[in-house]
Amino acid sequence: MSEQGKNIILSVKDLEVKFKVRDRVLTAIRRISMDFEEGKVVAIVGESGSGKSVFTKTFTGMLEVNGEVSGGEIWFEGQDLTKIKKDSEWEKIRGKKIATVFQDPMTSLNPVKTIGDQISEVIIKHQGKSKTEAKKMAIEMMGKVGIKDPDKRYDEYPFMYSGGMRQRIVIAIALACRPRILICDEPTTALDVTIQAQIIRLIKDLSEEYGFTTIYITHDLGVVANVADVVAVMYAGQIIEYGNVDEIFYDSRHPYTWGLLSSLPQLGEKGEDLFAIRGTPPSLFEEVKGDAFAPRSNYAMKIDYEQEPPFFKVTDTHYAKTWLLDPRAPKVEPPAAVRELHARMQALTSKGGIYGER
Amino acid sequence: MKKYILRRILKSIVSIFAVVSIIIVMIYTMVPSEKVFDNDAGAKKMKGDQLTTYKLRKLEELGYLDFASRLEMCTATFGDDAKACQDGDEAMNAQAVEAFAAKGYEIKELKSGEQYAVHNYRWYELLWRFYSKLVVVDSKNAIQDPDNPDLEHKYYWGKNPYNGTPALLCSGCTYKYQMYFNGTFPFIHQNKFKLNFGTSFPTNQGVATTQVINDGQGSNKKISQTFETGLEEESALIQTSCQYKYLTDHLDEKRFTDHYATCRSFHESPSMVETSYILGLIALVIAYVMAIPLGISMAQHKDKAIDKIGIAYINLLIAVPSLAFIFFMRSIGTLFNLPDKFPQLGFKDIRSYIMPVLILALLQTPSLMMWLRRYMIDQSNADYVKFARAKGLSQREIFRKHILRNAIIPIVNGIPGSIILCISGALITESAFAVPGMGKMLPDAIKQTNNNMVITLVFIFTALSILSVLIGDLLMTVVDPRISLTEKGGE
Repeated sequence: MSEQGKNIILSVKDLEVKFKVRDRVLTAIRRISMDFEEGKVVAIVGESGSGKSVFTKTFTGMLEVNGEVSGGEIWFEGQDLTKIKKDSEWEKIRGKKIATVFQDPMTSLNPVKTIGDQISEVIIKHQGKSKTEAKKMAIEMMGKVGIKDPDKRYDEYPFMYSGGMRQRIVIAIALACRPRILICDEPTTALDVTIQAQIIRLIKDLSEEYGFTTIYITHDLGVVANVADVVAVMYAGQIIEYGNVDEIFYDSRHPYTWGLLSSLPQLGEKGEDLFAIRGTPPSLFEEVKGDAFAPRSNYAMKIDYEQEPPFFKVTDTHYAKTWLLDPRAPKVEPPAAVRELHARMQALTSKGGIYGER
Repeated sequence: MKKYILRRILKSIVSIFAVVSIIIVMIYTMVPSEKVFDNDAGAKKMKGDQLTTYKLRKLEELGYLDFASRLEMCTATFGDDAKACQDGDEAMNAQAVEAFAAKGYEIKELKSGEQYAVHNYRWYELLWRFYSKLVVVDSKNAIQDPDNPDLEHKYYWGKNPYNGTPALLCSGCTYKYQMYFNGTFPFIHQNKFKLNFGTSFPTNQGVATTQVINDGQGSNKKISQTFETGLEEESALIQTSCQYKYLTDHLDEKRFTDHYATCRSFHESPSMVETSYILGLIALVIAYVMAIPLGISMAQHKDKAIDKIGIAYINLLIAVPSLAFIFFMRSIGTLFNLPDKFPQLGFKDIRSYIMPVLILALLQTPSLMMWLRRYMIDQSNADYVKFARAKGLSQREIFRKHILRNAIIPIVNGIPGSIILCISGALITESAFAVPGMGKMLPDAIKQTNNNMVITLVFIFTALSILSVLIGDLLMTVVDPRISLTEKGGE
């Protein structure tokens, strides 16, 4: 998938992550390779349990204690992150180079420390500033993320802030050390819709100002359509389709992507049943043979049960991992909902639509 | 906040009174009054009418009933003309008896045929009699001594004879030193308001219960001091505690220029309260100093060797009955030539304290360690810890700056309670080492039917418990910004 002449900031090669769960081994990430281009907004989508979060956690060494990277490489700034064993080395990357924003702002902040302390803490730690300098920078950062009267609110506690404002503070903390990559792990799931739009806008504006690469983990395709440059669709621990946002939305090739798009509630027609992908994802405790999505796919062929499909190139930026793209495969049309997606999506994301600019 | 605290204090006072009232009513109406004399040496020597009268007098003194002998009935009924009645005028006697019967008194007869009146107090009378004399306020007109007409009634400033600091003195009050300062807790001392719980009986007869608890123990300790007359003497008298003495003797006049000559004495050994408090407080400090770092490192190294050893220690100490543990430790102490009874070496030898303090401390550690470990582990799974890691803080920084601060909140809440309730002493440990402390006071007082002492101790313990809960809550507002003490719905 890597292309020449692009500025690659993070490169993942054949990454495999295994978890030990009650004496059994679960393969959460199955040999993913992917390049992240500097300054781009990458969205990783997929259903719960597809490995989105685990995938990005490997970039900051934040896997749970029972998990480990069992294979592959993650190259960042000339260093293979999978080789890092010591926490002290990770501390030079976490928060400083690669920052993370978590889902729930209500619990992400320490309830008994002041907002200001929690921001300047990172500045002191990573940039070695004095307390007064750090405070100045923290207040500036609070202003940047849209907190009014930041110098007055510096000494307040998280419980005095609303959810949206807390997420702004979390973003301020994440960006306080000007990281090169910001991982947003479902940053808006816990917020109500109006606040969601504001937070997404804020992250987008800041990414343009500071030029960091954003990795979104989400299952909200509306958010993806609005902010992402590149979309990676994950299923059962693998990336199964990868491309620019338009290509994924309007010219997707993988049956799973079709299923995902068809089941967007925002696209449902009144009076009709909402589409649902039948079945459940495969157990990752066992070796997955062939295409992991085959048992649930309406387009499965014999080979899907026998051999794992390779990535087929659709365009220079668009790849999909399905045998349907093999020249020998029969020609299939995506479902009607996906074909009409363009018009519907446009209605949703234009002014007045629920994901439109406000 | 102020309003809340005020209301809390008010509620606390109400609860103290509720508890004390229940105890008073229980003691006086449900425990047979005969039991009072079980441990009374005086009663054992008497019999017949003498015993009956003695018991009635004593019960009257203890507040069970109002007793009127024939003579008293006469005096009460006829006032100044009682002489004839007392001398045996039958008609007048009958009239006096009738008057008392009309007042609701029971009229009974001694074996000699003499009549007397008894009125058992009902519960509300008991409470009224207790509370109406509970607080004694000293005033400059408290003493009216016909033999000393020159006694001035005034307040004036003077000096504490021991350290020269200013003191508020009074002439005409019961206590001479109304207010003074010194280096012992609580530093500012006053004699203006006193709580009166009555006197102790049958042990320490006639001594106020508060004094039994507070006074030093052992023989008197003489220190060199200068009296008002300029006399320098080795004496045990505490000048700041002196009360008015109606009949002064030659010795008093040698020392004092006025009538304030009934003084308490310095003692060789600290009081029961102090003994328990010294032991308890040192043990508490040791317990916290041991348990907090241990609890923290157990949480930090969960499931590692140190955690497992710690859990084994906690289980062991919780599982073994404390009595067995105390005796086991005591026998270990004797191997190191440490006394197995406190009085063997006494208060002055540090070795007397080692084992009781160590045992008290160790007994407190398991629950402290267990809870701190639990709170810290709970906190370390919190989202803010995950985020703190993502911020790039090290595990140590996260524990120190984030987790500990959150985990310590419930622990902090309990600290004032532990400190204050050291006063109540430790029953089992103090008994095992025969430490003359507060621990045995309440059980002993109950056993001896020392009613006033029981009430005093209940009052003190209740007040302290409620106070410690209040202080604990106030302390929480300091460590946890989310907590602010206001009435429901805010200010």
